[in-house]
Amino acid sequence: MATAALRSQVAAKWHEAFNRLNRAEPGISGLISFSQAWNIATEYLHPYDISDPMVAKKRDLASVKAAFEIVNRSRRLPVMLETFLDDICNQYYLIIRDITQYLAEYEQSADTTVMLRLVFRLVEWYRAWAPIDELGPTIRGAYTLTFQTQLFSVLPPAFVRGFKALCASTLVPVAQHTPQMWEAFEILGLTDRYEGIIASVGYERIEDYVRETCAGKWDAPCLEGLRSWMTEQIVPWMLPMYAKGAVNTEDARGMLQNVGSRFDFHMNKTLCDLRTSEIFDIIIDFPDSMGALQDLKECLQRVDQRASLVQSLRKANRKRLLHPGADTKLILSQYVATIKCLRIVDPPGVLLFKVADPIRRYLRERPDTIRSIVANLVGDDDSGDSLVDENEPIQPLQQLETENYNDPHWDPEPIDAGPDFRTNKPSDVISTLVSIYDSKDLFVKELQVLLAQRLLAITDDNFEKVEKERRNIEILKIRFGEAALQVCEVMLKDMSDSKRIDGHVQSQRASIVHPTIISRHFWPSLESSDIVMPGQFQALQLDYAKEFSTFKPDKKLRWLPHLGTVHLELQLEDRTIETDVPPLEAAFIELFSEKNIWTMDELIDGVGAVDRTAALKALITWIDLGVLKEDQENTFRLLEVTEEAAPAARTAPAAIEEPTVTAAQQQQADQMRLYWKFIEGMLTNLGSLPLDRIQTMLRFAPGYDQTVEQLAGFMEAARREGLVVGRDGMWKLNR
Amino acid sequence: MEQLTTSLAPPRANPKPSVTNSSQQVAGSVAKRLGNELMSLMMSSSPGISAFPKSDGNLFEWAGTIEGPAETIYAGLTFRISISFPANYPYVAPAIKFDTPCFHPNVDINSGAICLDILQDKWSAVYSVQTILLSLQSLLGEPNNASPLNTDAAAVWDTPDIFRTQLMKHYRPVKDAA
Repeated sequence: MATAALRSQVAAKWHEAFNRLNRAEPGISGLISFSQAWNIATEYLHPYDISDPMVAKKRDLASVKAAFEIVNRSRRLPVMLETFLDDICNQYYLIIRDITQYLAEYEQSADTTVMLRLVFRLVEWYRAWAPIDELGPTIRGAYTLTFQTQLFSVLPPAFVRGFKALCASTLVPVAQHTPQMWEAFEILGLTDRYEGIIASVGYERIEDYVRETCAGKWDAPCLEGLRSWMTEQIVPWMLPMYAKGAVNTEDARGMLQNVGSRFDFHMNKTLCDLRTSEIFDIIIDFPDSMGALQDLKECLQRVDQRASLVQSLRKANRKRLLHPGADTKLILSQYVATIKCLRIVDPPGVLLFKVADPIRRYLRERPDTIRSIVANLVGDDDSGDSLVDENEPIQPLQQLETENYNDPHWDPEPIDAGPDFRTNKPSDVISTLVSIYDSKDLFVKELQVLLAQRLLAITDDNFEKVEKERRNIEILKIRFGEAALQVCEVMLKDMSDSKRIDGHVQSQRASIVHPTIISRHFWPSLESSDIVMPGQFQALQLDYAKEFSTFKPDKKLRWLPHLGTVHLELQLEDRTIETDVPPLEAAFIELFSEKNIWTMDELIDGVGAVDRTAALKALITWIDLGVLKEDQENTFRLLEVTEEAAPAARTAPAAIEEPTVTAAQQQQADQMRLYWKFIEGMLTNLGSLPLDRIQTMLRFAPGYDQTVEQLAGFMEAARREGLVVGRDGMWKLNR
Repeated sequence: MEQLTTSLAPPRANPKPSVTNSSQQVAGSVAKRLGNELMSLMMSSSPGISAFPKSDGNLFEWAGTIEGPAETIYAGLTFRISISFPANYPYVAPAIKFDTPCFHPNVDINSGAICLDILQDKWSAVYSVQTILLSLQSLLGEPNNASPLNTDAAAVWDTPDIFRTQLMKHYRPVKDAA
């Protein structure tokens, strides 16, 4: 039951509402006019189907305005707006119908003009349904918002794809209808909603273009060209979207600044990624890939991709370079190229340090690294291109310097430098290569070995070659220091002394022997041989030695008969053969002057002791020359008269090039034998010892430089050979 | 050794164990001489004799091993000796004694002291550890019975059976513990 108070309240409300609608008109005429105005207005606002020509109505704007005026005065405008917006939602199926139809067509034809028509159609809808401006911006805004919200909620994913294609289609070439299109986007609110998609269109275009134009083109920097391409192609495209409403270029530039730098960044990043993926080949092509490196340097300053560059290069190196299939020389030259390239990209050397580390580690494990480097240092004839740039000034090897903080040009270490990064003073390539190893002694040793080989290979007093070696050594002295190469100096001096001594000996008593007299202590250990030259050779040697000892009474000549060459003239019954052969061959053929048929064993006995393989090789030389013939297995006959060359029964065994000079590696094995003597000595006298004790005791052995791990390996090897037994960490001799 | 490392060289994973810091500084020239003697002793392969410093810190105290020469009464036995070099070596002979009890006319069975002319008045700086060891080895087979330190041994030298029994009674095989 309504109380009196409630009743009076309702009455008051009703009265107030009536008064508002009736606007103090007489009777209910005000009410009637309002309802007329309401009808006109709502009908005007009602969203109609624009494809239905019947509905296209003639509008009497004046009466509509008047109607709105009345509604407004009755303060019913918000209610009307609400009704209007509800109507829009209800009528939206009309638009959905259009969208579905257009998209279906687009899906079929993939023609972006369909999309364009769809967009224009949507604008048409929008315009048709829009309320008149006189209603004020509030209503207009509310309408736009509702329209767009509805639109976005009904747009299917297919629309987004089509939209993207549409944007992309306008990019190249910039299409004529573009301004209208952008305007339409703007009206529909698509620009804001799909900004990401529009930008991605730009990004993708940039990526495609960069890949198209720059991939594999390393000779000239691309960045400049790309920038101007951006200005010519991308910026005009961006203008309507990002610089809408710009009145002049100044204005536009300001508006584009932000988005432009984003695009520029993306271009840099794309180029950087591209170059990063190509970096290994770029380094191979160096110095023809200078341009690419310049680009990379510039990109890296803008884009933080240093870590990925390092990673990518390390990965490529591991896959393509640091494996057993690669030649050491190749690895070295790639390493040198890497040094040069990364210096361009990153002068402080942090990248290089990170990339170089695995290469250096790998090279250190290769047995022939030192040899390759040294061979390159002395400019071995067969090494085509030198690692060392000829223009690089020859300078002493550089030592690691402690940082000088008083240096006014001192810079702190780069931010991404690792903890073990060492400040990289740009040093020359040779210093860097030599620094792969902790000590340059190894190089000096290998250098001696190499020099010995080359000097001994010189025949016929070819003094020019000796002079060439001398020049080499002089150059290397600058690098390694005078003291380190003293031994080499002595070796060279031996060469010239040999010539002098030989001259003197020859003047006393002419001989056809021209020995190279070397000082045993200064030459690398030469492979010894037990060959005794038979017959006339021995006589020649003895004669010469006698003459030598009269000239140098305090010196004794010890022959290394297996080194050298012998020029022979063989006089056989029907022919004369002249040839240069190694001494062993000469020794064998000398034996044949005693009798015509020899067995292998007799021959070997005839020249002292010689390896069977070497002997066979020497004999095959003669068989090939048609001087000897192997009648039966291991029996050789001298062919005084040429026989029809029977096809060679035996082919030469894979030629074993016997290194005449013990390589550094072999010397190391000798060293280990020395250490073994010491270990044996201490274990004999001190009983069983733990490993670390052995390690410290080995300091008595001169030049001992093995780590305790190496020693452990060595002891383990000795155990396998049954020389020692190890129990509870104690080692003792096995006896 | 000269360390040659430019800034690019990565640090080695295992720094070399320092083998030089554990020694006490020994008088240079004597230590050098002893070092050379050790080297030549190691490189010479004289059978049955050997010696080595007892510890890495002291080059002046060595342990030696002598095997009895074949075809003597000492054949098949191994004797441990200790050698102690004076600071003015080689101008003064090293002090040598048998650690393994050695029943021998010229060796004191209890103290291990040796009566050998080159270790006393006939010492010369040209002798070396190796010559001493060789002399001792030959002394085993050819004792100087004229000046015996162990008169019992000298007395039974001419009767090998008795000598051998006595020898084996005193002899203790070399143990591995240092």
